[in-house]
Amino acid sequence: MIQRCCILFLLLAITAQWTSAQTAPTVGLRENTPTVHSFINARIVVAPGKIIPLGTLVIRNGVIEAVGEKVVPPADARIWDMKGRTLYPGLIEISSDIGMPKPPQAPSGNPFDVSAAQQQQQPERPKGAAHWNAKMHAEFSADQEFVPDSKAAEKLRSQGFTLALATPQRGIFRGTSALVNLGDGAASDLIAKPKVAQNVSFEQSGGFTGGYPNSLMGIIAFIRQSYLDADWYRKAQDSYAKNPAGQRRPEVNTALAALAEAAQIRMPVVVDVNSDLNFLRAAKIGKEFALNLWILGSGQEYRRIDAVKATKIPVIVSLNYPEAPSVDAPEEAMNVTLEELRHFDAAPENAGRLLGAGIPIALTSSQLKDPGTFLAQARKAIERGLNADAALAALTTTPAKWLGVENRCGTLEPGKAANLVVTDGDLFGEKTKIQDVWIDGNRYEVKAIPFADVRGVWDTRSNFETGTLSLRGEIDKPSGTLRVKGKDLRLGSVTLGGGRIAISFAGDSSGTIGTVRMSATVNDKEMFGILEAPDGTVFNWSGTRKEPPRDEPDTAKPKKSEMATSPATFPPTDYGRVKLPEQSEYVLVKNGTVWTQGPQGKLLTADILMTKGKITKIGSNLAAPTGALVVDATNKHISPGIIDCHSHTAAASINEGGQAITCETRIEDVLDPNEIWIYRQLAGGTTMANVLHGSANPIGGQNSIVKWRWGGLTEDLLMAGAPPGVKFALGENVKQSNFSVQGRAARYPQTRMGVDQLIRDRFSAALDYEKAWNEWTKDKTKIPPLKDLELDCLLEIVKGKREIHAHGYRQDELLLLMRIAEDYGIRVATFQHVLEGYKVADVMAKHGVGGSTFSDWWAYKIEAWDAIPGNGPLMHDQGVVVSYNSDNDQLSTRLNWEAAKAVKYGLSEEEAFKFVTINPAKQLKIDKWVGSLELGKDADFVIWNGNPLSTYTRCEQTWIDGKKYFDIQEDKLMQEQITKERAALIQKILASKKTTPPATGGPPARFRRPNEDGQQSSKEGLSHETN
Amino acid sequence: MKRTNFVLFVALLLCSAGAFASDAVPAAKQKKPIALVGGTIHTVSGGVLENATILFEKGKITALGMNIAIPADAERIDVSGKHLYPGIIDSYTNMGLTEIGSVRGTIDFAETGTINPGIRAEVAVNPESELIPVARSLGVAIVATVPGGGLISGLGAALMLDGWTWEDLTLKSGLALVVNWPAMVYTPSPRARTTKEEWQKQRDDQLKALREAFASARAYMTAKTAEKQKGVRYHETDSRWQSMIPVLEGKIPVFVVANELSQIQAAITWAEAESVRLVIVGGKDAWLVRDQLKAKDIPVIVTDIQAAPSRRWQGYSEVFTLPMRLHDAGIRFCITGDGSASNSRNTPYHAANAAAYGLPKDEALKSITLYAAQILGIADKVGSLEIGKDATLIVTTGDPLEPPTVTEQMFIQGKKINMTDKHKQLYEKYKQKYGQVNEK
Repeated sequence: MIQRCCILFLLLAITAQWTSAQTAPTVGLRENTPTVHSFINARIVVAPGKIIPLGTLVIRNGVIEAVGEKVVPPADARIWDMKGRTLYPGLIEISSDIGMPKPPQAPSGNPFDVSAAQQQQQPERPKGAAHWNAKMHAEFSADQEFVPDSKAAEKLRSQGFTLALATPQRGIFRGTSALVNLGDGAASDLIAKPKVAQNVSFEQSGGFTGGYPNSLMGIIAFIRQSYLDADWYRKAQDSYAKNPAGQRRPEVNTALAALAEAAQIRMPVVVDVNSDLNFLRAAKIGKEFALNLWILGSGQEYRRIDAVKATKIPVIVSLNYPEAPSVDAPEEAMNVTLEELRHFDAAPENAGRLLGAGIPIALTSSQLKDPGTFLAQARKAIERGLNADAALAALTTTPAKWLGVENRCGTLEPGKAANLVVTDGDLFGEKTKIQDVWIDGNRYEVKAIPFADVRGVWDTRSNFETGTLSLRGEIDKPSGTLRVKGKDLRLGSVTLGGGRIAISFAGDSSGTIGTVRMSATVNDKEMFGILEAPDGTVFNWSGTRKEPPRDEPDTAKPKKSEMATSPATFPPTDYGRVKLPEQSEYVLVKNGTVWTQGPQGKLLTADILMTKGKITKIGSNLAAPTGALVVDATNKHISPGIIDCHSHTAAASINEGGQAITCETRIEDVLDPNEIWIYRQLAGGTTMANVLHGSANPIGGQNSIVKWRWGGLTEDLLMAGAPPGVKFALGENVKQSNFSVQGRAARYPQTRMGVDQLIRDRFSAALDYEKAWNEWTKDKTKIPPLKDLELDCLLEIVKGKREIHAHGYRQDELLLLMRIAEDYGIRVATFQHVLEGYKVADVMAKHGVGGSTFSDWWAYKIEAWDAIPGNGPLMHDQGVVVSYNSDNDQLSTRLNWEAAKAVKYGLSEEEAFKFVTINPAKQLKIDKWVGSLELGKDADFVIWNGNPLSTYTRCEQTWIDGKKYFDIQEDKLMQEQITKERAALIQKILASKKTTPPATGGPPARFRRPNEDGQQSSKEGLSHETN
Repeated sequence: MKRTNFVLFVALLLCSAGAFASDAVPAAKQKKPIALVGGTIHTVSGGVLENATILFEKGKITALGMNIAIPADAERIDVSGKHLYPGIIDSYTNMGLTEIGSVRGTIDFAETGTINPGIRAEVAVNPESELIPVARSLGVAIVATVPGGGLISGLGAALMLDGWTWEDLTLKSGLALVVNWPAMVYTPSPRARTTKEEWQKQRDDQLKALREAFASARAYMTAKTAEKQKGVRYHETDSRWQSMIPVLEGKIPVFVVANELSQIQAAITWAEAESVRLVIVGGKDAWLVRDQLKAKDIPVIVTDIQAAPSRRWQGYSEVFTLPMRLHDAGIRFCITGDGSASNSRNTPYHAANAAAYGLPKDEALKSITLYAAQILGIADKVGSLEIGKDATLIVTTGDPLEPPTVTEQMFIQGKKINMTDKHKQLYEKYKQKYGQVNEK
């Protein structure tokens, strides 16, 4: 025991050497072991692509002193013979959580999981002048919080890393990172550079019931507002410092101060995105605020490579290739999407493809389940097209440059820090082992070499027998035979350790029953020890070396790696096309029954000519201009594209439930152009939608009016020129009638009366905000008002520059909102759902509000109890512009049949069909472009195989802007192609499982979809009604 | 569709029903013969009879055709220009067991616990439910109301949508035992809280619980049967297993809710082993099990046609075309609404959706009438217009699968049904409002 304590003390004493900072007093004796090392006979990779085949490297005091073929080791150097070894510059991990406080647990799948929400809602009590939002930690500074973590450092060293960027992990604004070296020691010694970059994350936490912001669109709004806040903060502090007299003292806020400071010096901002689309969303924010952005990628960047390239943003590439999807049983394989299969196939090519496209990249191990697999993952990237020198650069010179330390690390040039990696071969070779890494001139063993290399041939003798011991294989795990009496005995086990060897073999082969064990102390030349026979008799034995270890050539054949075969499609998912639909200059649709839904009414047999995406002629027997694409519509019906006035399709988040007023959020920030329902809705003749924020809040987010241009990016979906709008909501959802979070204070408002007060208050706030700005223009030396995205939006609303789309049910609340609007001199554009609209249709007509309703959904909650299918027709009779909407992905694929339900109430078929064509266009104030087939309007149309109001009719073609986005014949071909491609990819996975162990890099290749996020919470009607 | 049909119809209807605010009063029993004369009769089982007459007495159809002798005391109703169909059947719903989705106090369709074979749906059916007259207004006269939740949810019942008490409404109790088949295939998800192995264990536990329930019920049946022998001791009652005896005896089928192919396959082998009569409910992947379904003559209640494909890579019309493919493969099936009571009235449009995607129109009609009755085991009474069957039928202005069509009259076992409903009443009430408002 005493002895053990001494050893422990000794270890501590050695460690103490590392932990003493330069300014710390010496404890005990000084430590002055020479720090001059000379590595001779080494292959030296000075920098990527710059190799000295046989040379010498000298380091002194932790710095490289000399490197070259003819460098003579200094006389005072300790010599390290590096025969057969390669020296690489130390790798730099540019995104690491080393030494950082752990993030809170990921939220549960169920957004209404109250216990999970509560568990997460135990924020530390803010200390100091903290930001009001617990997800804002811009002031967090890794150099102040870093706690050395020798285990994590050892893991990273095992992959050749010598430096890591310690990156904070908590919150949306996470604070600044610090570059640390991966040796042992005190933080003050390890931190190589403080305050390298600000960190921002899109990661959601808390679920629907968590605090603000709890949705992707809320996070984006919060990030944008925070940059505005920081800008204001700086101006306010400046103004106050210059002239405090008479001014209200601005708040002190450490987070905004840090953010403002970082913005001032254009400190890099690293955004952690988790999908290809979030990459583009981050880029948009970066552009808006002129941020010096790097993006920590998701591994999916290759899917939208052109768009990624156009951002010109450097990418930190994760090598977290997905696990192989389960495809062993056919039914398992069926549940894997084509998108997932493709991603599994192509993910290892991400880094290579990005680099090939000229996008600057650095590599990271940060998203791997086990960072110890990093080099294996990198090797895979190289096998799949990443140039090996480029890979090395992405781990050395590139990160060094980004981090601003290229003058002191990243290469093995004289003057730079003595950070190096010693390997027994090519860094990315399959069998290569890293032996040591050196950090600031200190050696860290990665792979312990046995005290002696026992391999080779030995003459053995005991007092009754001589023999020959042959050992081969791995240096630390040899195997072999013992030849006695002309007989080769295979050794059962050979273990090494502490300068000893232990061998056992079955005695049977030598004629005795049982196991023979022998052990010995060993060096390069001799070994001696004892042998115990199965009967317990013990003998002495010894060995002398006869032959040295032999180099065994690597006979493994180079792996043939198959590149991904799937074509790039738009979007890069199931039912994506290899080419985006093209616009012919002229499209002539001939001989159809044309439902113009305009003044021309229904034309029994007519032609439509479209030029460059616009309708230019409607009539009989139109001549086809040269080169026109002629579509025969004989016996078919042609109608305008269907417009869904209430949709949440393709919204990656729907509600920002963290606050009651969230009009700073924008649906356009979160549209997901990969959403499969876009294609399915096109297949039902729907060309456009009003994509709305959910109904969680009295004033929700800004809506987007979209055309379903399948294959495009988010921006391509937006309809140019459509007036901006915003979602309002009234009634049960906003007063949170149907759920509550235990232990959480009730949110204002809890009554319809409170809704009235809150909306009026925010309208007044907007007007006050305008006043404050006007006031400020009189004396701009004063503290300016805070530019506020929410108030900006509210001001547009009260000025009538932004359309109100208000979710409402009961007649009292409908009437109320109209009166509020009238008090402010504005009008509500549409009521959504408006299930009791028929009770106040006269008031609605007078106010001028449109009614966008369900054809017949009812009884899913109290405020839907008086809903009637005659609602639409009754409103229509009173002169209200009426539309039927879906609020549901599937219902939006068959709105023509919904319209047919109005015919029962006395409307003509054409009038009823207007409920899903020209009327929603009017409600959205886009009727001068769409909603009917009239000259000059957009060529958005549908070809049906019969009367579109018949339930026996189906959609055959859907066109937008004169481009065909759906064709029932093409769909059949696509289904066949998908079946083939899936089968091929599945076969590939099955084959790869036979030859290589499954990748262990990342999570399963699942793509998160809104409906998996549990975000569709405030959809109305039927089974969607969850709050 | 004529412009004013429905409006006129509602006005007339409400006048005849007295004050518009009055409820739809359940009808009295049929007292004298009724002859509906001159309509187009869609018998479903025996073709379409133009300009024909249907006669019914004491709730049963006694004659139909061209030259029918109408008894002198019969009430003659002229239905010329109209179309007659059997009452439409929604073969899987919770009608009567729910009223307002968000109000817990009105929800009675899922009992707590996992093994609830004794639960009987009909005993909690609220005859006053406002949802019932609304469903009737689009021609739905018969529903199969089923309990849900757990592994074994309980016994469903066939209801006629009119009566003073749930006993009046019940056409057949003990219609089927509902079993919810556990999910069979693990689907990885980034937010999954269980590993594949944990998940598989949970699945296997559920499968064991299901098997054990049937084994226990069988043991109970054996023990109770043995009681009749001398010297065998009395076994105390277990109401759960008691209620399963008719299922084990094959008198009551098992409705297994199963959509995914390995669920359907498992249900088939299980039913075979248990020797119970199987009906698949849901059946989204039924096409992939077609050979066994056909060979064993296992019918499928296809629920909610208007649904997304189960898998992202499948065609958008995967579910719409399912009935056509089942029909082509010769598998017996019927089509339901979307399962919710408030939308039960839209059952015909689900059938129409299948027709738009390849199912022959007459098959679509059968899928919500005759086929539904056959699969539910009530075809001796309803599902088609035949002599000897219940006089449960509708009189419409046209094809009930097309939304503009109005169901003008309904007879259930010969009872003349009041066709008003909450929606028509509110519609008319606010017509009156605008009459007042616009009168200057």
